[in-house]
Amino acid sequence: MRRRTAALALGTAATMVLTGCSSMSGSGADGTVTLNMVESLTNPARTDLLKGLIADFEKQNPKIDVNLVSPPTEQADQKIQQMLQSGSGVDTLEVRDTTVGPWSNNGWIYDMKTDLKSWKGWEAMTENAVKASEDADGKTYFVPYGFYGLSVFYRKDLIEEAGFSKPPATWDELLEQASAIHDPGKRKYGYAFRGGANAQGNATAVIEAYVADEIDTADGFKLKNGKTIFSAPEALDAMQTYLKLFKDASPKSSVSWGYPEMVEGFSNGSTAFLLQDPEVIATVSESKSIKKDQWSTAPLVAGPSGKTVQPLATAGWGVADGSKHKAEAVKLVEFLSEGEASTSFTKKNSLVPILKSAAEDPFYKTGPWSSYVTMTENPDTYLNVSQPRGVAWWTEWQQKADADIQKMVLGKTTPKALLAGWDTYWTEKRQQEN
Amino acid sequence: MIGKESTAGRAAKFTFLGLWLVFTVFPLYWITITSLKAPGDIFAFPIAYWPENFSLENYSGLFGKADFGVYLTNSLIIATVAGAVATVISMLSAYVLARFEFRTKSALLMAALVTQMIPTFIALGPLYLLMTDLKMVDNRLGLILVYIAVCIPFCTVMLRGFFENIPDALEEAAMIDGLSRFGALFRVLLPVMRPGIVAAFIFNFVNCWNELFLSVTLMNSDSNKTVPTALNGFISSFNIDWGSMSAAAVLTILPTMLLFAFASRHIVQGLTAGAVKG
Amino acid sequence: MSTASEATDPTNPTDPTGPKKAAKDTKATTATKTGAAGNGGAPPVRKVQQGRRKPEFTARRGFLIAVFMAPAAIFVAVFTYYPMIAGSQMAFRHWNLSDLTDTSWVGLQNFHDVFADPAWGTVLGNTGIWVIGSIVPQLVIGFALALWLRRRFPFRGLYQALVFFPWAISGFLIGILFRWMFNSEFGVVNDLLQKAGLINEPVAWLADPDTAMFAVLVANVWYGVTFFTIMILAALQSIPEELYEASALDGAGKVRTLFQITIPYIRVTLALTVLLRIIWIFNFPDLIFGMTGGGPNNETHIVTTWMIKITQQGDYGRASALGLVIVAGLLLFAVFFLLATREKREVRS
Repeated sequence: MRRRTAALALGTAATMVLTGCSSMSGSGADGTVTLNMVESLTNPARTDLLKGLIADFEKQNPKIDVNLVSPPTEQADQKIQQMLQSGSGVDTLEVRDTTVGPWSNNGWIYDMKTDLKSWKGWEAMTENAVKASEDADGKTYFVPYGFYGLSVFYRKDLIEEAGFSKPPATWDELLEQASAIHDPGKRKYGYAFRGGANAQGNATAVIEAYVADEIDTADGFKLKNGKTIFSAPEALDAMQTYLKLFKDASPKSSVSWGYPEMVEGFSNGSTAFLLQDPEVIATVSESKSIKKDQWSTAPLVAGPSGKTVQPLATAGWGVADGSKHKAEAVKLVEFLSEGEASTSFTKKNSLVPILKSAAEDPFYKTGPWSSYVTMTENPDTYLNVSQPRGVAWWTEWQQKADADIQKMVLGKTTPKALLAGWDTYWTEKRQQEN
Repeated sequence: MIGKESTAGRAAKFTFLGLWLVFTVFPLYWITITSLKAPGDIFAFPIAYWPENFSLENYSGLFGKADFGVYLTNSLIIATVAGAVATVISMLSAYVLARFEFRTKSALLMAALVTQMIPTFIALGPLYLLMTDLKMVDNRLGLILVYIAVCIPFCTVMLRGFFENIPDALEEAAMIDGLSRFGALFRVLLPVMRPGIVAAFIFNFVNCWNELFLSVTLMNSDSNKTVPTALNGFISSFNIDWGSMSAAAVLTILPTMLLFAFASRHIVQGLTAGAVKG
Repeated sequence: MSTASEATDPTNPTDPTGPKKAAKDTKATTATKTGAAGNGGAPPVRKVQQGRRKPEFTARRGFLIAVFMAPAAIFVAVFTYYPMIAGSQMAFRHWNLSDLTDTSWVGLQNFHDVFADPAWGTVLGNTGIWVIGSIVPQLVIGFALALWLRRRFPFRGLYQALVFFPWAISGFLIGILFRWMFNSEFGVVNDLLQKAGLINEPVAWLADPDTAMFAVLVANVWYGVTFFTIMILAALQSIPEELYEASALDGAGKVRTLFQITIPYIRVTLALTVLLRIIWIFNFPDLIFGMTGGGPNNETHIVTTWMIKITQQGDYGRASALGLVIVAGLLLFAVFFLLATREKREVRS
């Protein structure tokens, strides 16, 4: 009897296996095209959102099926690179400002310039979005779906308890308020410090805020006089304040905090301040630990001059060079970048929108979103500066800078030595480039 | 029998056994309790060791927004089929390695040992290209084939131990009766080797059930994902969802844990048969 | 344990001697008794058979060997060896994903880069701590548990079922599990230690390189003891009871019995279990990756997590070079280890 059961189970399993392998990309007999679309900043809520949008697309285009591929974020880039290297299996994909350089360089992604020449969608887009869709050589490897920019997430109730009437406007005020709230014994922490993955993002934001008056807006790591921002004396003040923020106001474990841990620290109610992208608004809104009236956002904190630099990051949808259905793949990119689909994606995923129509949308005028509007409306205080995120050595830089910041907060290097190292690094890289 | 244990010795023994039990079981207890707390209570302070309100919200979330049922089914099918096929194939090779002397034998055994030394990462890229050529990417059968290959070396050396401990006479008698070697293998040796085969299968199953990197690399569609990949997805770019993650962890641990619990006697017994050798 | 003991065979495929030789006579005479416990009575028969069997090189025999070996050989060759060999050519090329337009041959440059990396020393040191710090407690505790589980006691079966389960959990999941418990703000470890009055304020376990390494080792010990317990328990059950009786008659104490009977008898199994575990622990980046990701400040990286980190930077050339270094290092180690065990065996017999 046992043998028969086992045989039956195996037989059933084998049948299921064989019937389960029909999701290959290609054209069906009836002319239906199947597109593989790959995302990289995967999270369950966003995947659901994308599935909904894809369903609408398929309804409009009955001859196109879209198979969404959502690898776990941590492994996503590696997996996508493998897929692109194999030259098949990807049609539409998520391309970020940090990946577009190497991927286009390797000939993995497709220049959509000519396909999109007559596209009506361009007119509805903001100037920033149109600008971001072109690289230095005027090629269009992706159409941005939105922008990421930093703002201060803060706990209204905690700053009131500590005796402050309004959120911090400068880094010094942030340090003051965060230190006042910080009380590890009660599991209350001032600031969600980023010491882990991509720690350099926030560290350079402080430095840029302190050198805002002298910064080269075309290259956020350069001063107007051509030297690196790390060489400025203000940079040292910035780093010292930043280090103090870690020592006096941040949980010890934040040495290794990356994106998920920081957001978790804020949304579980233990940490009072967080510097993050707008997409975090959606996550925090769903928190079961803090209620809507307990938190809000404020514009990015400024340096001593009262100005600050808004480091805009972006990502969008592009098409793989190996795709056999480029026309359909581009069609999907167009669909996601215009009208209802784009609006709904940027709203639900909370991103700074790419469409002009958002300026009139009441959604962006209230609550946590208002600080983004404030920042957009005051470009003299919140400077719009391009970061050199497309350079070939960007990944290497990130890894190096992240490690250096951890060394600094662990007391194994000083702010001064760290900045000197960064100055040398960028000066040398730039010289090699020329 | 050795002399009776002293009372002090007994006490020390059971104290140690007790402490070890607590140390072993506590993490499991903790993850289970975490998964049963309401999402908002997980970060409540002071920490609750026994939640006031039990909640199944984390679990219902798993089956609601993420198709955890699909992932479980995939993992179950893939681990069962790959584990079983690998066991059968390994029995053949193990039999040969146990019963015959031939020149390449030590080379083959060394080759099996070397497979254990290769870091998965070195082979991922070429493997993906190979599977693309075979049209086996994003395909359960493809992953099964790869898993079979992963299981075979360990499984072969394990089963070879069992064969070596079964007297030749048993199958020789069978062959005199007119059964072929193949027939002898299956009719006569199988029943004797059952504990060993069960142990080998369980090791294979657990390996496949838990494998992450190959699965992430070779599977694309949501409908083909396995549990470890899904679990990894919970460490999303947004936040570490400890509630869902604990619930998913409990569901992932359960099948293999039950398997181990029911089969622990088999495993020891099976391995005993294989271990007797110098 | 069978797998480990089998793995020795490359250096010693037909050597029928071993620590058991001394015990063989005793064993043969008592085969009926021990045999009742399972298949344990078989070896003596095999030993006799082996001496009798003659290598008969017939076509039929060769054909049989080939047919039976083929499926396993094909699977492993196609899905394990081919990708590895295909991947290893990257080790000798400039192969960086940030620029694949130039994949020229660079000889041993990548190997040079691996060794010249300033972090290499730390990584190597950590690997040593990781392997030794894991294997020693795993072996000692595993051995103790096996000795005690050998004797019957009430609820032994249940106890076994409960303490064996960590082996069934994936390394990555264990990483997550312990990362949650060692969480400095809401982790249960800090809470328990504080309640016990051992610490005054929460320890940021995973934020300090030293405590992070300790936490990772605790997790690995929790995971790995089971394997030793199972393997040693299986080996112990093969020791004939008569040996213990004789030893008791000699008036040997417990410690003496352990070192003169138990350990010598299972020495080979023990050594080979250790070898296999060393290879596995070495090649086990999952747990560290799930728990610390190699941080803080790259100070909990071991060689294999370091390799993953290099792949994530896109430098597949250097990562492959490191992969080859790992295989070569382990191979060298295994050969020395096996030679060492064999030599001792020969001295004994």
